[in-house]
Amino acid sequence: MSVGSVPAGYEVKDPGYPTPEENYLTNSRGLLTWVFTLDHKRIGVMYLVGVSLAFLIAGLLALGIRLHLFAPDGWLFNNEFFKWLAPDKAPNDIYNQVFTLHGAIMVFLFIIPSIPAALGNFLVPVMLGAKDVAFPRLNLSSFFLWVAGAVFFVMALLASGLDTGWTFYTPYSTTTDTSVILATSGAFILGFSSIFTGLNFIVTINTMRPPGMTWFRMPLFLWATYSTSIIQVLATPVLGITLLLLIAERTMHIGIFDPEYNGDPVTYQHFFWFYSHPAVYIMILPAFGVISELISVHSHKRIFGYRFIAYSSIAIALLGFLVWGHHMFTAGMGSMTTIIFSALTFTVSVPSAIKVFNWLATMYKGAITMTTPMCYAIAFIFLFTIGGLTGLHLGTLATDMHLHDTYFVVAHFHYVMVGGTLVAFLGAVFHWWPKMFGRMYNELGGQISAVIVFLGFNLTFLPQFVLGSRGMPRRYATYDPEFAGLHAMSTWGALLLGIGLLVALVVLLVSLVKGKKAPANPWGAATLEWACTSPPPFYNFERPPVVGDPYEFGDIQWDAASERYVKIEPKRETVPSEKPAESPAHAGE
Amino acid sequence: MLNMIPAAITLLADQTESKLSLFPKSASTFSSDSDWIFHFITIVALIFFIAIVIALFGFALKYKKAKGQQAESQTDHNTTIELVWSIGPSFLLIVMFYFGAQGFLNHRTIPEGAYDLGVDAYKWGWGINYGKFVIHPELHVVAGEPTKLTMTSKDVIHSLYIPAFRVKKDIVPGRFNYMWFKATEPSEKIATDEELEQLAAKDAETNASWDYDARQFTPDGYSFYDLYCAEYCGTNHSQMQTVVVVHETREDLEAWIKKYSSRPSTESPASYGEKLYQRRGCKSCHSIDGTKLVGPSWKDLAGKSRPLASGESVTADENYLRESILNPKAKIAAGFQPVMPSYKGQLTDDDIYSLIEYIKSLGEAGASGGETTAAEGEGQPAEAAAE
Amino acid sequence: MATTDAGHSATADHSADSHGHDHDHPSYLAHHFDTPEQQFDSGKLGMWIFLVTEVLFFSGMFCAYAIYRSWRPDVFEGCSQFLNTKLGAINTGVLLFSSFTMAWAVRASQLEQHKKTAALIASTLCCAMIFLGVKAIEYSHKWTMGLLPAGLFTYDPSNPHPVGGPNYLAYICAPFAVATVGIFIWLVVSFLRGAKFQFECAKPILVVFLCFFVGVGLGTILESGGSESHGTEHAAHVEGGEHDSHAEGEHAGEGEHAAESHEQEAATEETAEAAPTEAIAGLVAPGTMVSSDNELDVIKRLAADTTNTGLQGELAARQAQNDMANGAITYHVYDDVSATVAAAEENVMRKSRAGVFFSIYYCMTGVHAIHILAGIGVLIWLLVRALRQDFNKNYFGPVDYVGLYWHLVDLIWIYLFPLMYLIR
Repeated sequence: MSVGSVPAGYEVKDPGYPTPEENYLTNSRGLLTWVFTLDHKRIGVMYLVGVSLAFLIAGLLALGIRLHLFAPDGWLFNNEFFKWLAPDKAPNDIYNQVFTLHGAIMVFLFIIPSIPAALGNFLVPVMLGAKDVAFPRLNLSSFFLWVAGAVFFVMALLASGLDTGWTFYTPYSTTTDTSVILATSGAFILGFSSIFTGLNFIVTINTMRPPGMTWFRMPLFLWATYSTSIIQVLATPVLGITLLLLIAERTMHIGIFDPEYNGDPVTYQHFFWFYSHPAVYIMILPAFGVISELISVHSHKRIFGYRFIAYSSIAIALLGFLVWGHHMFTAGMGSMTTIIFSALTFTVSVPSAIKVFNWLATMYKGAITMTTPMCYAIAFIFLFTIGGLTGLHLGTLATDMHLHDTYFVVAHFHYVMVGGTLVAFLGAVFHWWPKMFGRMYNELGGQISAVIVFLGFNLTFLPQFVLGSRGMPRRYATYDPEFAGLHAMSTWGALLLGIGLLVALVVLLVSLVKGKKAPANPWGAATLEWACTSPPPFYNFERPPVVGDPYEFGDIQWDAASERYVKIEPKRETVPSEKPAESPAHAGE
Repeated sequence: MLNMIPAAITLLADQTESKLSLFPKSASTFSSDSDWIFHFITIVALIFFIAIVIALFGFALKYKKAKGQQAESQTDHNTTIELVWSIGPSFLLIVMFYFGAQGFLNHRTIPEGAYDLGVDAYKWGWGINYGKFVIHPELHVVAGEPTKLTMTSKDVIHSLYIPAFRVKKDIVPGRFNYMWFKATEPSEKIATDEELEQLAAKDAETNASWDYDARQFTPDGYSFYDLYCAEYCGTNHSQMQTVVVVHETREDLEAWIKKYSSRPSTESPASYGEKLYQRRGCKSCHSIDGTKLVGPSWKDLAGKSRPLASGESVTADENYLRESILNPKAKIAAGFQPVMPSYKGQLTDDDIYSLIEYIKSLGEAGASGGETTAAEGEGQPAEAAAE
Repeated sequence: MATTDAGHSATADHSADSHGHDHDHPSYLAHHFDTPEQQFDSGKLGMWIFLVTEVLFFSGMFCAYAIYRSWRPDVFEGCSQFLNTKLGAINTGVLLFSSFTMAWAVRASQLEQHKKTAALIASTLCCAMIFLGVKAIEYSHKWTMGLLPAGLFTYDPSNPHPVGGPNYLAYICAPFAVATVGIFIWLVVSFLRGAKFQFECAKPILVVFLCFFVGVGLGTILESGGSESHGTEHAAHVEGGEHDSHAEGEHAGEGEHAAESHEQEAATEETAEAAPTEAIAGLVAPGTMVSSDNELDVIKRLAADTTNTGLQGELAARQAQNDMANGAITYHVYDDVSATVAAAEENVMRKSRAGVFFSIYYCMTGVHAIHILAGIGVLIWLLVRALRQDFNKNYFGPVDYVGLYWHLVDLIWIYLFPLMYLIR
């Protein structure tokens, strides 16, 4: 058959909806209609803007860290400018505050809400075929809680900074004179934002599925979001109470965490990591969901091992609750506890590996188009594999004694969080950008950004593995001269990475002004969000969507004449034009 | 920044063959264990990684198609192969876990009769307790003999990390944590006593402290291994470093301890006091040039009247200084926090005497220096007390 | 007020969005739901998930309780005697009754008995207020005695009831008094202006706020004749280990609280016997690492004689050594190795020991009280809606969800009461 035309014996089934005059971006105007909107898509876009700003700030702080570490005795913050800016702070203090705020902002304000809140809000109802999330007001209030949390962090930054590390370990956090209370209050509020988002998604996915949308017809992104939401709902309250107790410890000296008053700092670590390790999976699981979509759509091939991927998401969500102790292997837990935590840690690596193999198998014999999202997806697999495999070194007790709290750890989690989540986030933004804003971006520009980000990232963090195994401890403002070469290399990489991210930003922003109008389904995908127009109308679907297999690409055909993907079906009179809905079940399932 | 490029390149080119290795020198019985497992995991990981990358880029190139073409196959699953790649690698994981746990248990099982040393970690320095009132920031151990460290922290969490030994353990305030290791590679004596004397004299002239990084040997002329604090502990976390020296025999070590155990009869108390000031952590909180640190400066302290936090004031005589060392919280100088730990049982009478003599010598210097410094001293109340 | 959102954000926005939809979309059904069942199910699932997060929120503190109790059982034992079991029991009963009226209110709203629904919600609110009133008595009494979290702990066994401190009870009551007066003014104004609905709302709410003072009164009566005074002496003796001065202490107690019942006498006798051993166990590292060291046991026994001051110090030092050897938590032993009798006396009832118990007590009951306050806010909102007759057999979700929440708050108290007050 010839490419780009409807094959013989088939006809175009669905000519596509007529483009409605108004979409969610234009159906009402004025700033207030955005601020008080209950539309999940607008809330998603507001989140997208918010987390991008947070990322920008935290990214600049990261550059500050790298530039300071250019020289063994520190470089950037030794500058006269910083003496003028903060006369009472030593360069070391500035460095400590910068890395703390980099970590805290990245974790609490960017990575955790990035994919679940920003993209999840936009996509979950549309992918599901619902009009909105179950609780639109709660959804808006979680966004405002996010804003409030961000304001607290900014206040902490302006008051007297924060130098505890993003983990707020006691007794350091109860004795330092920086604004720990403001920052922890911010994190506490952000926790509730995260809980409400998770709660909303669980209820939405459980009760708002339209007829025909069974559990196993849900796109894998929804499975990932569902798993993430479970973690958010179950783990975040523990962070909430931990931070509350920490605030009480600082104000009233309740003596639970502070050894000065007979408390135990290791208890704090247990409490903290009981949330914060599952939080690692809040950060990476949505990325898995995104990559499953990206690989399948841009390979135009059914996802391989749907059930294995879906179940492994749930498995990771549950196992993630049992491994928090591996952050404390050197803290002096009992031997048996330590060994059990190590064993459990290894079990988490299995479901992660399954996904990588399944993605590769999906690409195998596919019809791969090397679009920007696909470039990011491939970069993700490469980087996440390194991140995952180096996790083995850290999960193994004997080697962790050496590697714990060194740059090896720093490199490992950046490979997972940045090489994983950030790259997946960028891929997702490029993938769904046409749907969100109805504009196509410059494809070449997008691909260039992907390549620069990939190279810059590796140049930044590969040397850090070697730094770590050679014994360079993390959170050092100055270091021994023997580490200088690798640190310099890493700094150059960070600059390159920054350029790559800037290119991506420019490409996307330019598309808003100059981009071609996007068709409803620019990639030839089968999930429901591509069945509505780009951008979607206020109620998402003009007509109730027909729920089909989310990964059935056989009936999607590129139509060269109209330059878009169309759905085709065999020309036969007898076959009913729609599949009967599989089950009317929805509520309470 | 641009002028740093050549420096960076030189440093890279400068890496000698040994410096290209993944690890610092292997110097304890744990090192070989740990490195073996590390290499094993790395090789396994590399095999998987290379296979994945070949498949990833191979598929991306081989199955790259123009827009609009259909995939060759739409296989949606193959349970056998999925089970194989889910369960297969698990066996390798079990191997890794087993050897890791075994190695870890070695770390935890402290042998009987290990040579016992105390470690005090504080912001930001180390005090290694050799018994008999010898406390020194350097960690000195004997090769081939198991050494046990009993560690406490006075303020926040620290972590003792010796990369060359591949050991690390957090030091949590309110708890005792333990660590042991058996060093295998003795340090070499690379500087002669004459050189050392010259360097010490030079340092004394410029008032500099010993620069380990630049000289690569200790004030006693030994090569050393780095010892870091690995748990973030505040401003000078990155300077909370010391060195480990491995002696060949117990006699060597004891000779070294003896050298520091008491004041040599030839030395004046004040100059020995200065050494104690350097060695025992006084200098991390008390300056000798009038700067206000965590505690009051020692400059112009002795004999002056000092306001206390309680509102009274006291003359900083010998008795007061002695009390402030032994029971620092009894009289807190105005403007300072009661954070100094007691040195009771950690300093001999002679040590305290030497320190007091040293403090007095600083006061005399200040007095002869002129009136300006005295005025400064008044502007900075405090001193003395507690800290 | 997260609770309301979780339960009702979807269901409550009936007025704004429902216009322009087809006829079978009733006014209480939000636009994005298809059927009332779907709306109800969503709300209920949301509420249950929210309750899960609440349970996990409290679980952190229950964990802290378990950990510190297992480390320092004697501190918990000694300090829990400062809590007034009678007041706790009354509060438990009040809350249980409020759960009953709440459940009944749900049923009444389903049956569209509007008046009854409102009355039952109002009685639930009254119970909540009585609970807070009694709590105010408990808190203010302890604050006066200086039984506060570790950092603020100022309790002095020799002077348990210091005079001249601030009147904490007045501080707690002030906002409630202001609110009550405000509501009374509202009631009068709405009556004068003839705003019937507002008048109808203000009436029950005024009764509800007055119930707070009923609670305060109830607490005062029970507290003054209650067992707490006894508890105070009892605990002081255990901690001090000065059984010789037992009689004196009792006199002092009698001076302050006239009635000491016969039972209490018996109990104090028991205490006197138990005192020496307990006091010594509390000496250095209370209850934690009880040593198997024979020598230590001998010294312990000898040191049981409190006049033997020399041995007390010896014991402290040995116990400290022993703990170091075990790698146990050491409570800054290097600061108090110079343990003397005086040091031993104040040992358990000292900031860092008793303070931790009261820290956990205030954290748990405080956070619980905040939940009660939140519940009161939501219930008042519900009361107004019930008076407006918003609920019918197809739409009673909000009452149901708030009911679930209220039962959870009740349930948490059911756990707190025995853990804090009863287990000795």
